[in-house]
Amino acid sequence: MSDNIWVMRGRCHKFGDNVPHGGGIVPGWILARRVVEADKIIPHLFEDIAPGFDSRCKPGDIIIAGKNFGMSPKMNGFVAMHALGLGLLCESMPFLAYRAAVGVGLRIMSRCEGITSICETGDDVEINYRTGLFINHTRNIEREFPPIPETLRELIELGGNTGWLKRWWATKNSTGAPAEDTAPSS
Amino acid sequence: MGMTAVEKILALKGGCASVRPGDVVEPNPDMIMIHDNVVLGAKQELDSIGIDRIAAPDKVIMVSDHEVLYGSLNAARMGTFNRAAAAQWGVKQFYDVGRGGHGHLFPMERGLVLPGMMYFDNDRHSTNAGAIGAFGLRMGAEISRVLATGTNWVIVPPSIKIELTGTPGFGVYPRDIGFYLAKQFAPGGMFECDLDYVAIEFSGATDQFPLSARIALCSSPTEMGAYGTYFPPSAAILDYSRERAMRDFTPVYPDEDAKYDACVSIDLSAIEPQVVRPGHVSRAIDVSEVAGTRVDHAFVGSCASGTWDDMVVTAEVLRGKRIAPHVRMFIAPGTEDTNKRVLREGLMEVFIEAGAVMLPAGCGPCNEGVVGPLDGGEVSISTATANLPGKFGNKDAKLFLGSPATVAASAIAGKIVDARSGHG
Repeated sequence: MSDNIWVMRGRCHKFGDNVPHGGGIVPGWILARRVVEADKIIPHLFEDIAPGFDSRCKPGDIIIAGKNFGMSPKMNGFVAMHALGLGLLCESMPFLAYRAAVGVGLRIMSRCEGITSICETGDDVEINYRTGLFINHTRNIEREFPPIPETLRELIELGGNTGWLKRWWATKNSTGAPAEDTAPSS
Repeated sequence: MGMTAVEKILALKGGCASVRPGDVVEPNPDMIMIHDNVVLGAKQELDSIGIDRIAAPDKVIMVSDHEVLYGSLNAARMGTFNRAAAAQWGVKQFYDVGRGGHGHLFPMERGLVLPGMMYFDNDRHSTNAGAIGAFGLRMGAEISRVLATGTNWVIVPPSIKIELTGTPGFGVYPRDIGFYLAKQFAPGGMFECDLDYVAIEFSGATDQFPLSARIALCSSPTEMGAYGTYFPPSAAILDYSRERAMRDFTPVYPDEDAKYDACVSIDLSAIEPQVVRPGHVSRAIDVSEVAGTRVDHAFVGSCASGTWDDMVVTAEVLRGKRIAPHVRMFIAPGTEDTNKRVLREGLMEVFIEAGAVMLPAGCGPCNEGVVGPLDGGEVSISTATANLPGKFGNKDAKLFLGSPATVAASAIAGKIVDARSGHG
């Protein structure tokens, strides 16, 4: 995969603090019915708090949110964001939500303190996930935030958990030996 | 430098002499648990890759506890899918509808989760394992990787120690203590501190607490973001475990020089019965402050309050009484074994005579309101694990939390009351 997957430029879609996953990122019924297919979630992404979001966003756009984004470890909405080619920068989020987002291959930085104070919805923004450099071209502001840790880049580059498993399975079958981190059965 | 109990368990299962917070380990689990609503996603993911077998089917426990009643054709289809998945994967320990009950309760009752054990689970309430001195790690959708490979990466969490002192006063239950604790860790509380991805280790006057109380106390820290909880197994807990153990086990205790990010102390005798106001589990308040609030819906159950002891407390309040005419009350004993005992010892009659509706063992409304949901504007008081808007269906419903005694007394009065006042 080319290096430029780590650089993204597009429109900012800004959200505040404490956006819940159910009733915020996606309607509650998406969680209750355990909907995990991107095409089924996309029309409802941010439906409760930003109706019509899916028709306004384009690949490369960046969701910029405040503190405690998601408020729970659910992953359904992240599947839709990844499928839409969006990125996510937030001031904070629960670790398990962050892990879930990485697990679906979403490009994400979760410790961007103060980022919501330097951008508005519609701004032309750019992020380098390798270096953490954030540029708001509309307002001529640059900031550095903690980048995606190197140890997690491979997982994201492979497309998350599914991509990692594809490679693991291919490696296992090509060598005929158990893959490296297979734990022995008791 | 010594290790906390959680660090010791992760070091042991990760094949390391020692670990520190921030280390990445790939532990070899004693068990792998997956529940009914997640099998479909995991199986489809693995099937799409061509992964047609799982690493350790003998370690896997499949549980049908989230949607037990099949309230829709979709749920029935999912049940069919899950049974076929269990057969194809060769999972013999499949506790389907009516077989086990809540996956975070019956494994302790049946000696499947034991002190010192470590297991992977798709669900965050695996933290209940801390009640018996074990460690259950939540994987979410990444449980598929655990099923396929037998393990997954885990970052060792930092630990906070909570020292309990004193004994709770009359009419103060473990959930009250949990709600009070959550409030103290929240902004403005005595111990204000972010519990996100922290392991909580209880210490001090813990021997007074049976398993049910430990389970109840594991719940609120989990809802505050804690990744793990741990109680040092008492002599009584060890006896309980030995009586039913399905395998050998070795309890794990923290080193005396273990390093904690913070140590806090709480005097149990100073706590009043609590009610959590709608919105978040940290919004606890003395019951007297919200007494009189009309309720439409009441629920006793969940992985935090579905034990036999919780059923006894509920029955003590409901015995010989009727719930208010405008209230609908649901009771879900956590496990099939508890269900049988509820029937055998006459509690079922107490509940039915009071006008409550019995739900099958499992999550009940606590699973996103798939049974017993609320309409907009309605008010509930329950022993659910959490009360975020929409937890019981409609996001405009108001969800209060209380102990089983407070919930039962409030259902009778038709409004929130202090169970000690005799309104129950």
